[in-house]
Amino acid sequence: MADGSSEEQLLEFLYACPVGLIECDTSGAIAVMNPHAMQHLMPLAGSRDVCNLFSALEQHAPELRSMVASFTARTGRICDGHRIFVELGPGRGDKVPKVLACSLVRIGPDRLIATLTDVSQQVFQERRLREVDTWFSTLLDGVNGYAPLTIAFDGAIASATPCFTRLTGYDHIDVTGHNLADILTTDAPSGELRLDEQLVIAARDGWHLQEGWQKRADGDLYWCQRLVVVSEGGGAPGGRFSVVLRDVPQRDAAATDLHRLLSCDHLTGASNRRHFGQTMAREHVHWRELRQPLSLVVLDLDHFKAVNDSYGHPIGDTLLCRITEVCTALMPPGGIFARLGGEEFGVLLPRYDHAQAVELAERLRCAIAALVVGTPHGMLQVTASFGCATMDETGSVDGLVALADERLYAAKSGGRNRVCMSSHAVAPAG
Amino acid sequence: MSFETINVRDLDGMEPSECDALPFGVVGFKADTVVETYNATEARQSGLDPATVIGVPFFDIIAQCMNNFMVAQRFEDEPELDDIVPYVLTLRMRPTKVRLRLLATPEIARRYLLIER
Repeated sequence: MADGSSEEQLLEFLYACPVGLIECDTSGAIAVMNPHAMQHLMPLAGSRDVCNLFSALEQHAPELRSMVASFTARTGRICDGHRIFVELGPGRGDKVPKVLACSLVRIGPDRLIATLTDVSQQVFQERRLREVDTWFSTLLDGVNGYAPLTIAFDGAIASATPCFTRLTGYDHIDVTGHNLADILTTDAPSGELRLDEQLVIAARDGWHLQEGWQKRADGDLYWCQRLVVVSEGGGAPGGRFSVVLRDVPQRDAAATDLHRLLSCDHLTGASNRRHFGQTMAREHVHWRELRQPLSLVVLDLDHFKAVNDSYGHPIGDTLLCRITEVCTALMPPGGIFARLGGEEFGVLLPRYDHAQAVELAERLRCAIAALVVGTPHGMLQVTASFGCATMDETGSVDGLVALADERLYAAKSGGRNRVCMSSHAVAPAG
Repeated sequence: MSFETINVRDLDGMEPSECDALPFGVVGFKADTVVETYNATEARQSGLDPATVIGVPFFDIIAQCMNNFMVAQRFEDEPELDDIVPYVLTLRMRPTKVRLRLLATPEIARRYLLIER
């Protein structure tokens, strides 16, 4: 075969390859890439440089830069199938939300090879399987940690067995007639549903499964799966529910560690986009079904690019970590502070109405403005701009994100270091 | 007839040799994106032989980089289309800044994509 045709054959192969292939240096500057890679990068890059891998993905996977920076071996695999959650909501229309998988290999001191693959369909199927798996394992696993009981439509315990005593530490005979909600731990630090909220959904769907920490009579904590199934009366007033409480022991240190790895941003330890997106989708369901308020605050550091340019990325990274510390400390129970992009953060506030969200945003703004970071070039201070929106204003996850973003933009153009809470300019007094 | 002024009718009535002589890339394809025109300028830019490109679904096989809402989806959604968009292609696997002109009109079956380096 002549050289010309074999080169053309190679080009055809690369043009048609259904996986994105990229070669770049450790600063992200792309030397070679195939069309499939560009198909994904171009829409994600926005106004940033699409010819730099890290810039193009800055908004959706800011961690890639620090993963490469912290990889010390001369060659080797930096990440394998690292997931990039492009969409935070449940996807548009009937489409599944887009998720990309990125693998990075270092092949020399300043050479990286990256692949990008669309794994949206796989991720969607995994999620479905996990739900089914949880459901079946609840039914099929060993019976030792179980406490089956029957409750009335309002939650009052109709009958319980000695298993209930073993599991919760409360005597099963004494609790009969009392409301199960009074016996279960009522504070829901990670945004779990209360029993009454769970009963509303179970009455409609026939069943509902909820997981969370529970406290035994002696104060001991255990991870509890709580399954509620309609047993009599078809979920109408006067009917009954069967409840199964299950002590799930595999929630050990390794699982907790894994959970942290999967849900936290690599650099700052804030929640990552993936966790934020999943929680937002879950809370959206709670909002829709239970009319529980849900608010979103997005914030973006002012002139952060100048910080990186004049102080360098390591100082910029330190600043991001300090801001995460300060803001996380101000989160209410159930609130999530997440890094959404380079210097953009999101605060998800279940059970917070608009006024409460605005008040918290103002506290976060003050806390960030008060933060001082020492650097070799002197003290560094930054401010941030905030956009607040609440689900009642829009009804959809996409709409909520868009509204908060729009207000963030308004806060920026209004002079920065401020909170914008509404889409209408406030008329001057008088 | 420049990149900015040429229209679908001009392109559709052109002899292949005239089309080849244009200083910008021209790709003509049907509603199903199967390529019918691939001029010499575009063949030089991409390094592909027109014979292997013609008859192939363009956005699936040849130009996956444009198979997104910014280009391919617009041909799906907008029957009447005339827009110039700055873009970055991967000609011969090198990121290359270009200007694209997206052209379609309901009266003419063939749609056109012009590529100016």
